[in-house]
Amino acid sequence: MKPGQCKEGRRLGHALALGALAVAAVLTVDGVMHVVAAQTPFGGGRPVSDPHAGGLIGWLLARQSEFYREMSSTIRAAKSDGSAVRTLLAISFAYGIFHAAGPGHGKAVISSYLVANQETARRGIVLSFASALLQSLVAVLIVSIGAWLLNVTAKTMCGAERVIAIASYALIAAFGARLVWTKGGSFIGALQANRPMPGLALASASVSHDHVGHDHAGHGHGHDHDGHVHDEHCGHSHGPLPTELAGPGGWRRGIAAILAVGLRPCSGAILVLVFALAQGLFWAGIAATFVMGLGTAITVASIAILAVSARDVAGRISRVSDGGGALIVRGIEFGAAGLVLLFGLGLLSGYLFAEPLTCLQPIL
Amino acid sequence: MKRARSRLIGWLLLACVGVFGATAAHAHPHVWITSASELIYAPDGSMTAVRHAWTFDDMFSTYALQGIESKTKGVYTHEELAPLAQTNVESLKEFAFFTFAKADGKKGRFLEPVDYFLEYKDGFLVLHFTLPLKTPIKTQELSLEIFDPTFFVDFKLADKDPVRLVGAPEGCKFGFQRPNDGAAGAQAMGEDNFLSGGNSNYGAMFANKITVMCP
Repeated sequence: MKPGQCKEGRRLGHALALGALAVAAVLTVDGVMHVVAAQTPFGGGRPVSDPHAGGLIGWLLARQSEFYREMSSTIRAAKSDGSAVRTLLAISFAYGIFHAAGPGHGKAVISSYLVANQETARRGIVLSFASALLQSLVAVLIVSIGAWLLNVTAKTMCGAERVIAIASYALIAAFGARLVWTKGGSFIGALQANRPMPGLALASASVSHDHVGHDHAGHGHGHDHDGHVHDEHCGHSHGPLPTELAGPGGWRRGIAAILAVGLRPCSGAILVLVFALAQGLFWAGIAATFVMGLGTAITVASIAILAVSARDVAGRISRVSDGGGALIVRGIEFGAAGLVLLFGLGLLSGYLFAEPLTCLQPIL
Repeated sequence: MKRARSRLIGWLLLACVGVFGATAAHAHPHVWITSASELIYAPDGSMTAVRHAWTFDDMFSTYALQGIESKTKGVYTHEELAPLAQTNVESLKEFAFFTFAKADGKKGRFLEPVDYFLEYKDGFLVLHFTLPLKTPIKTQELSLEIFDPTFFVDFKLADKDPVRLVGAPEGCKFGFQRPNDGAAGAQAMGEDNFLSGGNSNYGAMFANKITVMCP
């Protein structure tokens, strides 16, 4: 960032930082609402689904349904016409993209984790692709072992899916708890360091400081692990940021994130696989599943990049502003960490999202 | 300055839409059911039960049949499918059988299903079951909705004879309303929903509503 932009940024600092906080708040409220909803079942069953279905979402749903429905007829067609396999793969890819753009907790958890843990966009892409690959792999394994090798019933496969789902949700919750613990410490640290709050009022946006960030240096963040210098800071580099990814534990945590998100297979993929197996085209089903995963990964990665960029922008700007900057950054991180925990708990306690806990629970 | 500002705001908004939208949009059907229903009336003119015949889509039908043994390949008898039918009605119970009756502003309660069985026909599974009303309803206007509030299951009224009145008093008439092409409805109503934030019943937008008017 050039010095000129820096000044602009300063003026905008508070406004945008507040905006980012508002986003975090909305996200948190949203998460809370899900958890609350999960605890008050609808008529003894699942909670009613989320009301916020925008026009875009409606459109996505429609496309997704179309692609999904076309899959069965395409698999049928592929029995006699080899070229239909290409169509199947194209549909699967599109379905993957649209599917991930719509429902599911994966991208929400990944995005929140990335924001909370100061991860880079590149790591976000790696996480997205790895978890989508794992998701496809789990689906293929369940159907290969369950349906192809052992010929168990759909109900039995659901049982396996349920165990995996619960493990995955528990992992997310544990993961979130850890993040909350760490980020809570940083947040409290920032709060204490910031006690004489230099007015968060918008009016103070006009106050100009030439030595941006100098007052950050002294902050005692209890959990700062190792210094990591961000490249694009205005003027000078900041004090240590809690970038755990640089340390050896960072990759371990990354793998934990991949497992947490990618363990649970998508019900749609399992249906497609079983259907393909019944049509004698299991390999086409497997190919379709992985292509679907590729599509999913692209969408999840895009959302992850978006989340990381927004966090970086908000962080950069708020750092330019008065001492409240660090507090705001820590606040956003803490909020995002809380979100991961809420997702985990929500998924565990009930059925956050319309995805039932078991594969096709309403009927099987 | 202006450009920088709008760019930054754009980023935040995009991120917001991305993450928020992603968590918000939960509904996505995995199962499609074509529903045909009979409304059963007692001689005294009260409605006593709803008899459903639900046809599952081919993908789900195949999936549900996975691992179920049959004497003749590709042919499944009612007996062979009995355990699966049992599972179906037991699972559906938790979701109130996706059937919601209303008369005079009051909800009609259903008892456990009776006479349930699965039929395998032309590659599709058809679930037949009868839902008796706890207390028979005698009223001039009655509505029956069939939908999944969470939209995991997409219900569609059968093209042919989606509703039939059995033993209803003379002069009773019925009408039905399909979700105006599900997806289109979602788009049109979605905006309102999003803005008002009030309507908490997303799946209701896809409801199939049957109305019966009796003299």
